Amino acid sequence: MSNKLINLENITKIFDGVTVLDNLNLYIRENEFLTLLGPSGCGKTTTLRILGGFENPDEGRVFFDGKDITKLPPNKRQLNTVFQKYALFTHMTIAENIAFGLKIKGKSKAYIDDKIKYALKLVNLEGYENRSPALLSGGQQQRIAIARAIVNEPKVLLLDEPLGALDLKLRQDMQYELIRLKNELGITFVYVTHDQEEALTMSDTIVVMNQGYIQQIGTPEDIYNEPQNAFVADFIGDSNIIDGLMLQDRLVEILGAKFPCVDEGFGVRRPVDVVIRPEDIDLVKPEEGTITGRVTHLIFKGVHYEMEVAANGYTWLVHSTDMVPVGEEVGIHVDPFDIQIMNKPESEDEEASVIEE
Amino acid sequence: MKRKLEKIYMAFIVFLLYAPILTLVVLSFNSSRTRAKWGGFTLDWYRSLFANKDIMNALYTTLVIALLSAAAATLIGTAASIGISSMKTRARTVFMGVTNIPMLNGEIVMGISLMLLFIIGRVELGFGTILLAHITFNLPYVILSVMPKMKQTSRATYEAALDLGASPLYAFWKVTFPDIMPGVVSGFLLSFTMSLDDFVITYFTKGPGIDTLPTKIYSEVRKGIKPEMYSLSTILFVTVLLLLLLVNFSPSSENAEAAAKEKKRLAGRNPRKFHRVPKVFFGRVLPVIMAIVIIGGGIYYGSTNLASGSNQVIVYNWGEYIDPEVLEMFEEETGIHVIYEEFETNEIMYPKIQSGAIAYDLVCPSDYMIQKMLQNDLLQPLDFDNIPNAKNIGDVYFEKSRQFDPDNLYSIPYCWGTVGILYNKTMVDEPIDSWKVLWDTKYKDSILMQDSVRDAFGVALKTLGYSLNSTSIHELTQARDLLIQQKPLVQAYVIDQVRDKMIGNEAAIGVIYSGEAIYTQSENPDLVYVVPKEGSNMWIDSWVMPKNAPNKENAEKFLDFLCRPEIALMNFEYITYSTPNEAAREMIEDPEIRDSEIAFPDDSILSRCETFTYLGEDADEVYNQLWREVKSS
Repeated sequence: MSNKLINLENITKIFDGVTVLDNLNLYIRENEFLTLLGPSGCGKTTTLRILGGFENPDEGRVFFDGKDITKLPPNKRQLNTVFQKYALFTHMTIAENIAFGLKIKGKSKAYIDDKIKYALKLVNLEGYENRSPALLSGGQQQRIAIARAIVNEPKVLLLDEPLGALDLKLRQDMQYELIRLKNELGITFVYVTHDQEEALTMSDTIVVMNQGYIQQIGTPEDIYNEPQNAFVADFIGDSNIIDGLMLQDRLVEILGAKFPCVDEGFGVRRPVDVVIRPEDIDLVKPEEGTITGRVTHLIFKGVHYEMEVAANGYTWLVHSTDMVPVGEEVGIHVDPFDIQIMNKPESEDEEASVIEE
Repeated sequence: MKRKLEKIYMAFIVFLLYAPILTLVVLSFNSSRTRAKWGGFTLDWYRSLFANKDIMNALYTTLVIALLSAAAATLIGTAASIGISSMKTRARTVFMGVTNIPMLNGEIVMGISLMLLFIIGRVELGFGTILLAHITFNLPYVILSVMPKMKQTSRATYEAALDLGASPLYAFWKVTFPDIMPGVVSGFLLSFTMSLDDFVITYFTKGPGIDTLPTKIYSEVRKGIKPEMYSLSTILFVTVLLLLLLVNFSPSSENAEAAAKEKKRLAGRNPRKFHRVPKVFFGRVLPVIMAIVIIGGGIYYGSTNLASGSNQVIVYNWGEYIDPEVLEMFEEETGIHVIYEEFETNEIMYPKIQSGAIAYDLVCPSDYMIQKMLQNDLLQPLDFDNIPNAKNIGDVYFEKSRQFDPDNLYSIPYCWGTVGILYNKTMVDEPIDSWKVLWDTKYKDSILMQDSVRDAFGVALKTLGYSLNSTSIHELTQARDLLIQQKPLVQAYVIDQVRDKMIGNEAAIGVIYSGEAIYTQSENPDLVYVVPKEGSNMWIDSWVMPKNAPNKENAEKFLDFLCRPEIALMNFEYITYSTPNEAAREMIEDPEIRDSEIAFPDDSILSRCETFTYLGEDADEVYNQLWREVKSS
């Protein structure tokens, strides 16, 4: 992860009076697996389409390898895209699909045949040359779409929710396959998804977007453990997001109880958002908890139990491997380093960016 | 039981649907000329059909126009669909609405408005205008069959092609076009069929000397339906049926697509095999057929029309009103190419001359119409010095012509005749000599009346002892009442079918033109023609020259040629209508015909007859109103 390969500068895009991207700035490093993550309508696909050349930004510029490619048409860009619905050419065979880009570049037949073989091997579909794409399963079609893109040896592969149409098991398999591919090819992947788990699994860098704004950029661990605002916290994984009052450094008041924490520099008696992940809550005996409550709901989830605990007028979401029956009184304890303090949103834009669910 | 009934019902419906066409097909193999009886199987009509140069020319024109207009419409329509489908919803709705107008509009409205546009734009009516008109009405069909395919194609595949380095054009041809191909093909075939079938629009936008099959057939059947027309219609029907089958079984239909997919699944490995048939057909076979037809036809057409160019004369005449050999002889002798066009009634001819859409050199209208054209200043005087053979026309006919051409300056009589009663002597009891027999209840349902205002009222007025040019409301109302009284007795009001029906013994008494009577007698010797004692109509069709005639000199040469005795004789023998050419009459060898009472009635009969005169628009309106009252009573 060395130098910056792509630079998006002050990108603004407006569709029919709706601002889809608002002054977006982003750089993508060479060999990075970067994921644009956000709910639908957040501008992630538009960003990708601007990268691919399918949309022109209303303002701002796109740099590739230091060169301004803002106005360059898609067929002149050193990028290839894997489309959401595969977009295979159904009237051609698989070999013809894969050869499409190479033929345009005027490669020799031997070279093309070689590449087809190599690409099919890479996506584990050897011997499928003469079949029709229409007869393949979704997962197979997706792998052909990837093969078709990568034979052109792009510097960057753009993937637009490529796994969206697949079932869960297949999706998980394909996630590993994509990571393997990326490592074998050694090229940059820009990946668009609304699935936070997918993003956490595969990415080097995650860009969380909402309503045309970047909410947070960071490694999966950063994004998950240190969400910078309520939107990110809520969008990535399950969270308890509670209004709090920062009494002083390292002490926050939540729902009338004082919790020690590790955060500093928020000032004195400042209202803040407090994020506590459900798996970070320890259910203890009532007298040992910082506050006490009653279990109102219990679901077995496989890996853990999901429980809801009503305490001090808030319903706490708790994940635990230990089961506590409904109706039982429990104490709630949270380790100081598991409490994440965030500033309340200041601007209206940030306010608006809180996800509506 | 129920299922059986369902099947019987279905069979009945299908039978009803196809009975008319089946009749036509059967008749096309009938060796008897009349429809009434089966005379054995024959292919003669097909043979004589293919030997008919005019029809083959029309066929070629039809095919070329169908192919060219379908190809052009497909090209423009496909491009339009691409444009429209990338529009925003509202604009798209508006544009789709606009493009559908030619399809929803009445054909006649399309035809007339196109004709007017061409006239205003000073575009000469002819091949080009027909082609433009066909492209226009074909467009919506192409758009309508391509648009759904455009909607189905995903923009993503097109973008994928761009993404892989394809230029927009290459991406369209390689990726989008194969997807919309079935729509394009069915659009093409649909256009082809539509163009092949079109009569109304072609009729209004065609010029002289050019005909498509439908307009040719129409002008042919005016004189009674010739059996060749059954063969031609059969061929047309089969062609269109085949094309429609092709459209429905081409890959455009969803079922076919699904079936093809299923086949692929079964066959497993090679999807290309199933694309090959339509691909080869539409990619290679169809264009080759098109090329052969156009080039082959072009050579043939070119060779027959080699004489054309500026040295021509444009003649507008009744259908079957000249011996085709006469035209050939004239062309051979003078090197002047005759562009020959036919009309069906004076009323159809008149607006064409009046509009000036086509500049004709010679027209052959009837007496009263010549009067009307003179009143509207549409004709120019003839230079009789250049038509010396006009002296062969008998004085009596020029004298009779004074009713509509007072100074004999504008017209030369060509054909004439009387209107009378044709009866079958085996079916009536007594010899007939009066119009009154048409009101004899004995012959209920055996009487045929002419289905035209002036002829019908002429009979009634003469029966009452009035002039057949009467404009007296009193006399006309009496005539109307007489016609209403007669109505229950009449088997049918017809024009051309009087001839066929009388030959076929389908009726006992009919009102008919003398020229037709001569022909019917040769087919059925039991028929007798008589001009009733109350008097009747004598009609004269004469050649006149419109004011805007472009080839005046050639027209004079043509007229002089027609007035030669031997040529007039040829035409008399062909048309069988009385000729005013005295020199020609003397050359008739058969004394029975030369002195035929029907063809050349003596002066005592002629003196009882009058020609129709143009009565003016107001009187016309009165006649039409009264005629409507008769028809609707």
